[in-house]
Amino acid sequence: MKEKESKISRRLFLEVFGKLSIVIALVATAIGAVKAFIPQVLYEPSSKFKIGKPDDFPEGITFLSQYKLYIFRNGNDFHAVSAICTHLNCVADWKPNQREFFCSCHGSVFSEDGVNLEGPAPKPLTWHPLSFAPDGNFFVETNKQVTREYNFSL
Amino acid sequence: MKERIITLWRSLIWPWSPRSSREASESVVKSFWLHWFPSRISLRSMSWSFSFWLGTITFSLFIILSLTGLLLLYFYIPSVQDAYWSVKDIDNVVSFGWLLRAQHRWAAELMVAFAFFHLVRVFFTAAYRDQRVWNWYIGLALFILTLFLSFTGYILPWDQLAFWALTIATGIARELPVLGEDIRFILLGGNMLGQNSLLRFFVFHNFFLPALVCILFALHMWRIRKDGGLACMDRLVQDTKSKEIPVSPTKTYSLLGVPKGTTIYAETTEVLDDGNSTHASPHLIRRIALVFLLTTIVTLVLALLAPFALEGAANPSVTPNPAKAPWYFLWLQELTAITTIKIGEFTMSGGLIGGILIPGFLLLSAIIWPFLDKSPKEAIGVWFHKTRRIQNIIFIIILIAIIILLIVGTYLRGPYWGFYWPWQAWPEIPTLY
Repeated sequence: MKEKESKISRRLFLEVFGKLSIVIALVATAIGAVKAFIPQVLYEPSSKFKIGKPDDFPEGITFLSQYKLYIFRNGNDFHAVSAICTHLNCVADWKPNQREFFCSCHGSVFSEDGVNLEGPAPKPLTWHPLSFAPDGNFFVETNKQVTREYNFSL
Repeated sequence: MKERIITLWRSLIWPWSPRSSREASESVVKSFWLHWFPSRISLRSMSWSFSFWLGTITFSLFIILSLTGLLLLYFYIPSVQDAYWSVKDIDNVVSFGWLLRAQHRWAAELMVAFAFFHLVRVFFTAAYRDQRVWNWYIGLALFILTLFLSFTGYILPWDQLAFWALTIATGIARELPVLGEDIRFILLGGNMLGQNSLLRFFVFHNFFLPALVCILFALHMWRIRKDGGLACMDRLVQDTKSKEIPVSPTKTYSLLGVPKGTTIYAETTEVLDDGNSTHASPHLIRRIALVFLLTTIVTLVLALLAPFALEGAANPSVTPNPAKAPWYFLWLQELTAITTIKIGEFTMSGGLIGGILIPGFLLLSAIIWPFLDKSPKEAIGVWFHKTRRIQNIIFIIILIAIIILLIVGTYLRGPYWGFYWPWQAWPEIPTLY
């Protein structure tokens, strides 16, 4: 009786699986190597932090350079706007005379509300929500975003 | 005894100073250090006016950078707290440290310039055609590596220039569709610039990028030989062939038999004779040494006359105003500042258009250009060949556009990237730190 001929020879089978195992090993090693570069723990400051009590902020606009944050106070109304330019992340400066924000890297201009008026910035400046900590300090959450109607009243 | 010492010395140095034609021919085969040179080289390839030796100058600069960089590595500390102060120490405390750093910096800036001049030379002499297309690609890769090397290099002092250049560059990386955020995160090793970022760029600068340059450089040299030498050799081969010089009957093409046809490599060696060529040892080697020495002297003199000052220590809260990249990136900075498109509600950031799409398009053009170039073979190895007039004009227009953007970015931009003529006073004192 003639043995049934298989379509895949033993030699081909071993060759394909041998090469495949090399490829799989290389890909797995590469994935492992890249994964090592994705930090598991970040020693960065928290994106929710205290910035001070309401009375620490005078009427008008206060710049917190450490946090790259502008705090607006109008009587009992507060809101926080990020100073980080939406073009390429430089710090936009507040110019009290023009009442506009100017970015020194590529010349973007933003209105008092943070709306991008001129220059390359594609989006308005980001508004961040405020809240109260139990000790009476303001909390800012820079990983959250709110609309330009946002207002935190005392 | 004296005799034996002289013989020993002679056995060491004879390939470098051959006393006979035979020794000159054998030198490239028997000396490891010379084995990558051809036995004979055409006078045209050796001339100053065909290639201007731009590639050799670029390579000399790379050697200078490697040596000065190696020494700087002993004094530099790749930590956010210490990096700036260790570079200050290099400038002010380490004996001749200031000179090392200034020479390193000058050589780096010149390497960007000369790698680019070399590219321009190759374009205008149509030296990227046919079999040389691979060397054109290797050269493009080497040019981009040079740019990355210079960028990662000026990140290391962690001064204001470094901090804000990295902020902007990773901002551009973030604009990449889909993968942008992840690439930025991996490059920085976090969401913000910090210790991880500095260490990553330190390793890129001191290991991965230079290692890649070394490998590609070796390939670049090997391909020059296999592609038949400099492009001007093609002219020599064609001129000589039309005279129908019979091939020497003793010529052996290969140990294993005579292959059909003749390789470019064999053709170029056939046409070289005493009238149009000379021995590579010592003449080519002597000239390379001369170019290397001159390049060293120029970088040294520039370093002595004009050392580079550091900017203030990195301050994450204050962006310098105006914040300017080094001159060779200012055309890109100018592009990112002026290419944001707004159509109604739809906005495309200049970071994506000027920072990624336009440079990407230029690179892609360079890659497909050899296939768009339909000029005849006679154009290869000739400066500004008349059949290439249109493509040369297109290339020159791109060059001029880049130069104009460079000039605008360097001389005509003031605080808040405003436009000021050189004779106009800036309305405010620049903020530095």
